[in-house]
Amino acid sequence: MTELSLTQAALLVAWGTLVALDLVSVPQAMFSRPLVAGTVAGWIAGDVEAGLRTGVLLELFALDVLPIGAARYPDYGPAAVAAAALAAGVSWELGLGLAATLGLVLATAGGWSLQLVRRSNARAIQRRAAALAAGEGSAIRRLQYVALARDAARGATLTAVGLALAWALAVGLRLDRATALGLTLVCVGSAVAAGVNGAVRSAGRDARLRWLAAGAAVGLVLAALR
Amino acid sequence: MTGRWRALLRLFAVQGTWNYERMLGVGMGYAAEPLLEDLKTVDPVRHGEAVVRSSEFFNCNPNLAGLAVGAIARAEYDAMPGDQIARLRTALCSPLGALGDELFWAGLVPGLIGAALAAVVLGAGWWAVAGFLVCYNLIRGGTAVWALGTGLETGMQVGAAIGRSWLIRWIPRVGAGAGFTIGLAVPLVTDWYLDGIGIAGAAGTLAVAATGVAVTRWFGPALTTLRFALLAILLLIVFRWVGL
Repeated sequence: MTELSLTQAALLVAWGTLVALDLVSVPQAMFSRPLVAGTVAGWIAGDVEAGLRTGVLLELFALDVLPIGAARYPDYGPAAVAAAALAAGVSWELGLGLAATLGLVLATAGGWSLQLVRRSNARAIQRRAAALAAGEGSAIRRLQYVALARDAARGATLTAVGLALAWALAVGLRLDRATALGLTLVCVGSAVAAGVNGAVRSAGRDARLRWLAAGAAVGLVLAALR
Repeated sequence: MTGRWRALLRLFAVQGTWNYERMLGVGMGYAAEPLLEDLKTVDPVRHGEAVVRSSEFFNCNPNLAGLAVGAIARAEYDAMPGDQIARLRTALCSPLGALGDELFWAGLVPGLIGAALAAVVLGAGWWAVAGFLVCYNLIRGGTAVWALGTGLETGMQVGAAIGRSWLIRWIPRVGAGAGFTIGLAVPLVTDWYLDGIGIAGAAGTLAVAATGVAVTRWFGPALTTLRFALLAILLLIVFRWVGL
C-alpha cells in the first residue's frame, strides 16, 4: 500500500460514499461496479494498474450476483475502493490476494449494512405513517432525504473502516512470498469460479447458452494468441 | 402537466427509501410529486388522495419505474377511479420487474461488463471502464426518458404500450450479447492473471476454480462463491500456519 496523503484518504472516502450510494439509492450509474470503483480508487491512490487488477478480480465475484427484487447481496463497491488502496504500490502477484481478501470481507459486511439501512428505512416510514396517510408531500421528501443520508453514512463508514483495515494490514502484517502468492492464486481461482457460475446460471438453456459457448471459444483463441 | 423533468431526475433516486415493507413505494411517491403538483389547484382533494396512493407499496426494476410513475400520474389527471389506479399499480409490479431485471441486470450490465473486461485484458486499460460507463448511462438515460414519456402518454393503456414496445424485442438480443461477451471475458481474464505465474501455479489456480464451480453448484445458494472463496482463504492460512 502506498502512503496516502490526507487529501487522498479523504477523496477515497468520498468516492467510497458515492459508490455505496450508487448501488441502490442514487444514481445507479454503475459507479458501484467493482471494475469502476476499483479503477478510480487505484487512480486516487496513485496506481491505476493495481486498481484495474483488483477491480477486475472483484468484478468476477460480482458477476455471480443478480441484484433482483428483495435479494440480499454483497456490496462490492466500497470493498473495491479499500482493496484497491491496499493493492496500490505492491507487485500484483504478491499484493492482490491480501487486497482481494480484505475486499471480500468488506463486501460481506457491506451486504449486512445494507440490511440495517433497509430496516431503518422501514422503521422511519412506520414513524411517519400518519403523515403519509394524510398525503403530506413534505413527509415523503423528508423520508427520502433522510434515507439517502443514512445510506451515505453507511458508505462513508464502510470505506473508512476498510481503509483503516488496509492501513493496519499494510503496516502490521508481513506475509512470506509463498503465502502472499498462494493467497493471490486462491483468490483468482475463486473469482474464475464465480465468473463461470454467473455466466452459466444466467445463460439458461436457450440461445444465450450457445452465444456463451461461442464467446468462450473466441476468448480461448484470443487468450492463446496473446 | 408540468414537473416532467423534475420527475425524471427524481426517478434516478427512486430506490432511495428502499425497504422490505413498501419497497419502492415512498421513492415512487417522491418521483411522482412534481407531476401531481398541477392537480393541487385543479382538485385539492384528488391531489391528496393521489399523493397517498403514489407512496403505497410498489416494486419493479428501477430503470422502468418511469412507466408506472407516468401512467399513474396520467390516470390521476384523467380522474380514473382510485381502485382502478390501485389495480394498475399492482398489475405493473411483476411485468416491470421481470422485463427490467432481464433487460438490465441479466442483460445489459453483464453484457457491457463482459465487453469492458475483455477490453481491459486486450490493452484498453481505463478507457474500457470509461466506455462502459458512457454506454450504460446513455442507454439507461434514454430508457428513463422513454419510460416516463410512454407512461404519461398512455395512462391506463400502458400495458398495451409495453407489449408493443422495443423492450420485448430487445431482451433476447441483449441476453445473447451478454452471453457472448461474458463467455469472451472469462478465459481472457483467467489468462491475464495466470500469465507468467508458472505451470504449477496455473494448475493450482484452475484446480481451485474447478473445485469452486463444483462445490457451489452442489451446495446451491447455501454456499455462494464468495463464501467458498473465504473458506478457501481460511484453509490456505491454516495450511501455511501448520507449515504445509
